Amino acid sequence: MRGIAIGLGLIALIATSDAAAEIARIKTSSGTATVVRGSQKLKPAPGLQLEARDTLVTGKDGRMAVTFIDNTRFAVGPNSSVSVSEFQYDRTQQKGAMVTQVDRGSLAVVSGKIAKSNRDAMKVRTPNTLLGVRGTKFIVEVPQ
Amino acid sequence: MSRAWLIAAPLLLAGCATSSLVLMPDDEGHQGSVAVLEANGKPTEAVISEQSRTKLGDATPNSKPLGADGLKKDEAALLTNLPPPAKSFLLYFDQGTVNLVPSSAGVLANLRAEIASRSGPEVEVIGHTDTVGSAEDNDKLSVRRAEQVLEWLVSQGFDRSEMSAVGRGERDLKVATEDNTDNAANRRVEVIVR
Repeated sequence: MRGIAIGLGLIALIATSDAAAEIARIKTSSGTATVVRGSQKLKPAPGLQLEARDTLVTGKDGRMAVTFIDNTRFAVGPNSSVSVSEFQYDRTQQKGAMVTQVDRGSLAVVSGKIAKSNRDAMKVRTPNTLLGVRGTKFIVEVPQ
Repeated sequence: MSRAWLIAAPLLLAGCATSSLVLMPDDEGHQGSVAVLEANGKPTEAVISEQSRTKLGDATPNSKPLGADGLKKDEAALLTNLPPPAKSFLLYFDQGTVNLVPSSAGVLANLRAEIASRSGPEVEVIGHTDTVGSAEDNDKLSVRRAEQVLEWLVSQGFDRSEMSAVGRGERDLKVATEDNTDNAANRRVEVIVR
């Protein structure tokens, strides 16, 4: 039984490392800005590859710009915390799903191929709202 | 104790109920829409589909036109910080080879300039063929075409970790043709620069 549990654990680990594929890249950042990945805090240097479940955190003078592999683009404003809690994209089929959580601050979005692939395939969650993005450009603001 | 909580709860909800949405047309001028699927934990079916500012959290969102003042200063600054849109380049090849047609040489120069101009670029190279020859051979040829372009970019000083190359064989024809049809438009490599 224990052997099976350990075996399953290994499979889960393999699946996790497989899922940790590139979903986006940092294009620019300025001021106080951090990419939080689990217990790690990464410096958002241009070209840094992002993974699903990364959180983009900025201080009062911080900004980050990000482009996803489906062409979705983000600009994260100051005093913000934005997580990409789910991201799946098939480059060949150009279909996928994405959930972004804006816990505080501001986020500008130009949606990409995921939003076009299926109705409400791209979702944005704020502390009080769940939005379904149907192909557009918008800003979400969540004051502290 | 519980009574104090009952009084405090609506205040707490009000405190976090001030998320807002500013909806705009995209860069090509198309006006998209955003659906409010849930507000304060309850499902809704509202759709915001005009250029507007909306306070979020109500079951029926109250959208207001952006008005004469337009965007706030912070919002305009945020939009300025968006990365440039992805840009796509097409390179064409001689029949059955990895040799670029002469007219694509200039595109290579533009491609190089575009990558060099970007901060933290990602380059996706996708090779294609026409339908002359077997599907298996065309898979291989399309990969060789893509790798040829990638290697050229490496020779120009770009980092391999910025780039990926795949071949799609004759699966994604630009111009639909019968099998075994010579077609210059289909013998291509698409390069997407993000």
